Amino acid sequence: MPTLDDERFEAHLKRFRPLAPEPLPTVGTIRRARRTFVLGAWATAAVAILVVGALTLHIRTNRARVTETIGNVGNPGHLTEDQPLTMRSANALMAKAPSFKSMVDDMAFRGQKIPLPKGKRSAVALLGKEKIKL
Amino acid sequence: MHRTDGDTAEIEFLYRQHGPALLLFAQGVTGERSRAQDAVHQVFLKLIEKGSLNRVADKKAYLFACVRNAALNEGKRRDRNTPLEPDSAWFSPPDRDYVGERNLRCALGALPNDQRQVMVLHIWGELTFSQISDLLDVSSNTVASRYRYALAKLRDSMFAKENSCANS
Repeated sequence: MPTLDDERFEAHLKRFRPLAPEPLPTVGTIRRARRTFVLGAWATAAVAILVVGALTLHIRTNRARVTETIGNVGNPGHLTEDQPLTMRSANALMAKAPSFKSMVDDMAFRGQKIPLPKGKRSAVALLGKEKIKL
Repeated sequence: MHRTDGDTAEIEFLYRQHGPALLLFAQGVTGERSRAQDAVHQVFLKLIEKGSLNRVADKKAYLFACVRNAALNEGKRRDRNTPLEPDSAWFSPPDRDYVGERNLRCALGALPNDQRQVMVLHIWGELTFSQISDLLDVSSNTVASRYRYALAKLRDSMFAKENSCANS
């Protein structure tokens, strides 16, 4: 085989391409980590927004319910018909009533709305009709 | 220094562009493909971690210098001289010339270390003698001299082997 001159031999050597190294591990890892971080951040933000929204809604609903309840408690007429007597309703009655006596009367003589079966009468009603001889 | 996506993309580009020659150069220094791979990866991982190459004037020469240092440091740390791996391929041969690839590998492996470095840097790294002289910290004349010797030995060695193969 003839001996090649330097330039041709160099060209011959350059035809042999060095093998490529394995891909850098971190480039993919960094990109993957960055993508995961961005996705995670978005997901966290979305969850946070949902939680804050739900909490706000819950708080507003509760506040409206409490306000409504207080309003209802503050109405003595309504209280005597629909609601049981509690410390809160008693306080509300006390605040609304013109005097202590009227408040006590109001509490004492609330209308009985418990329905009785046909033909039966309450003990209070019977006692109220009974003539007591002194 | 803050690393940007542009810096990472540039480093990736440099890895793709010069990676094969850098790996070959590191193989010539370390003698083992896995250690050479480690040295090249180590250099690029540091580059990715620490920032860009904006301040480097001659990036290609800088990369070869970094890989050489990494390979030499790795050799010092292991404290042993590993002979060049005889079996693993170094090149992708033209026209499936696997015999030629083996001959070239053997011929390169038979060269003295300093001549082999110059040969790889000039032929496959495409560095000028001046760049190689800066990198190896020797004069340009020394580089040119080593190159001429290496080229002659390589040619003799390769064609002697081809002829012996052809005769056998």
